[in-house]
Amino acid sequence: MKLALETRALGKTFKVKEKQAGLRGSLKSLFAPQWKEKTAVDRIDLSVSAGETVALLGPNGAGKSTTIKMLTGILHPTAGEATVAGLVPWRERTKLAYRIGTVFGQKSQLWYHLPPVDTFELISRVYELDRVDYARRRDRLVERFELGPYMHTPVRKLSLGERMRCEIAASFLHRPQILFLDEPTLGLDVVVKERIREIIRERNREEETTVFLTSHDAGDVERLCSRAIVIHHGGVLLDRPVALLRRELLSGKTITVTLADAEDPASVAEWFGRRAWSPMPEGVELAAIEGRRIRLAIDLARTDMNELLASLTQAARIADLTVEDPTLEDIIKHIYGMEKTKGGEPT
Amino acid sequence: MNRTYGYISVAGRKQLAVVRIALRQQWAYKTDFLLRACLLLLLLYVLGQLYGAAYAGDYDRAIGGFTLRQVVWYLVFTEAITMAGPPVGARIEEEVKNGDIAVRLTRPLSYVGFHYGSYMGEGVLRFIVLLVAGGMVAWLTVGPPALGYGPIAYLPLALLGLTLSFLMTAAVGLCAFWVEETRGLEFVLQKLTFTAGGLLIPIDLMPEWLQRVCAWLPFQAALYLPARLGVRFDGQELLRACSLQLAWIAALSLLVAFIFRRGAGKLHVNGG
Repeated sequence: MKLALETRALGKTFKVKEKQAGLRGSLKSLFAPQWKEKTAVDRIDLSVSAGETVALLGPNGAGKSTTIKMLTGILHPTAGEATVAGLVPWRERTKLAYRIGTVFGQKSQLWYHLPPVDTFELISRVYELDRVDYARRRDRLVERFELGPYMHTPVRKLSLGERMRCEIAASFLHRPQILFLDEPTLGLDVVVKERIREIIRERNREEETTVFLTSHDAGDVERLCSRAIVIHHGGVLLDRPVALLRRELLSGKTITVTLADAEDPASVAEWFGRRAWSPMPEGVELAAIEGRRIRLAIDLARTDMNELLASLTQAARIADLTVEDPTLEDIIKHIYGMEKTKGGEPT
Repeated sequence: MNRTYGYISVAGRKQLAVVRIALRQQWAYKTDFLLRACLLLLLLYVLGQLYGAAYAGDYDRAIGGFTLRQVVWYLVFTEAITMAGPPVGARIEEEVKNGDIAVRLTRPLSYVGFHYGSYMGEGVLRFIVLLVAGGMVAWLTVGPPALGYGPIAYLPLALLGLTLSFLMTAAVGLCAFWVEETRGLEFVLQKLTFTAGGLLIPIDLMPEWLQRVCAWLPFQAALYLPARLGVRFDGQELLRACSLQLAWIAALSLLVAFIFRRGAGKLHVNGG
């Protein structure tokens, strides 16, 4: 299978100036600065095939964004090698730019005071797109991303969700072979997140665009990616298909039930045990009771959601019910713990 | 040869697209236009009064080869170039600091080239507005400029002057790759441009030793030469001024390219 990107012992260290507190510390650092070497990425080996959808995960400071920035040619590594779409990113940055697309969730490529259609036009010129092909492509993306009502509105007047849809559509204009997404759904509501994931999936299916993303959202990984790579302290901790990860780790959900009946909060625990289940079904744990609200930790690998909900609604009148995914931080913490117990320090 | 021509032609088309979009974005800053034009009017009024006193209101008298009318038009010409330039140094510094440079570096377009296109798109529009506003004040107070080739020669020289201003400011802004704060450097550069560039006083009116120092610096090529030829045209001088501007543009372009190349290698993009 054709490789989209490959790295061998890719590493990046930064020199960070260390300053002591106070005026004396500032003066000392001015005349005798002290530097500390910080490893952002620790010799990672990655290999991604064309058409794959890969999530690069890890807590803050794990080296995800630094890795993406090296793979897109923005940062020069201090160790190792990498090829992306057949090119060495930091040596052939401009050439590579034609073959990749990038979306940095917190940074905008759209011109703030102008409508998105103007930025689209600029992108078409910068990527030297054929005029007829560009017009066709733009119209198709506008239709798929449902951007019609916003294309002629100044970017400053768009909501974050509308702007992000424009950003991602713009990054698809030149038909990139690989799309790098750095926190693409950060700060978006559930509906917009889902729409964005759906369209990225669609582009991946139709055009075989390789997707390489970093995210703190477990939903992005679950719904968008076929493979997850977890990095921690700059090194690869785990590299596994998402289907497997889902079975092992993403199966944990939290259900919060708010009871409609004005039960005495003090006796809710007892009531819950008496009327709902006794004993508690396998894969269900009572996590907390706060007033009329009950939080249950569910393991979907061991219990069936339909049966669970049916039994809950039979047992009590429910005013509200929410189902939450585990946070990515929780999952990573869990993985980190697993790896530690498996063989000492994680690799 | 054909390949080089093709490369230049493609790069030129991309630059033009950036110029066009920057020009469109500039329409959004109407208040900024108005404020700049008002500031220019105030400056011209104060400086006009000062020079009026120095010339004792005598319109025929010449100091350092300049009559009162020529000096006032000289001020309009230098101020239009100076006030037209967007703060590109601060923008580059900001992009390096907050990590927005990442978006620019993943495009098939030169980073410096993008900023040049954006600078010229904004700068040219501001330049026209300032020139018209300042020209109206000068016309009303000291009369029209000397008719002839001067004002015609001024326009291309002013564009080259804007290019030079861009290169000097960009060189300072790109120092953000190494130092945390470039505002101090930019302040020094701005003051040097004001004095050694002949913003308020034509270089001919300065002491001879200072004139000799200024002749070796790029600042006069950005402001003094276009403005002086605008009010006192001389065919041979035009050729010399143009060559000097192009030579400085070539030298500063190499410097900017060198700084960028070295800086990009040690870039530490902030913001995740």
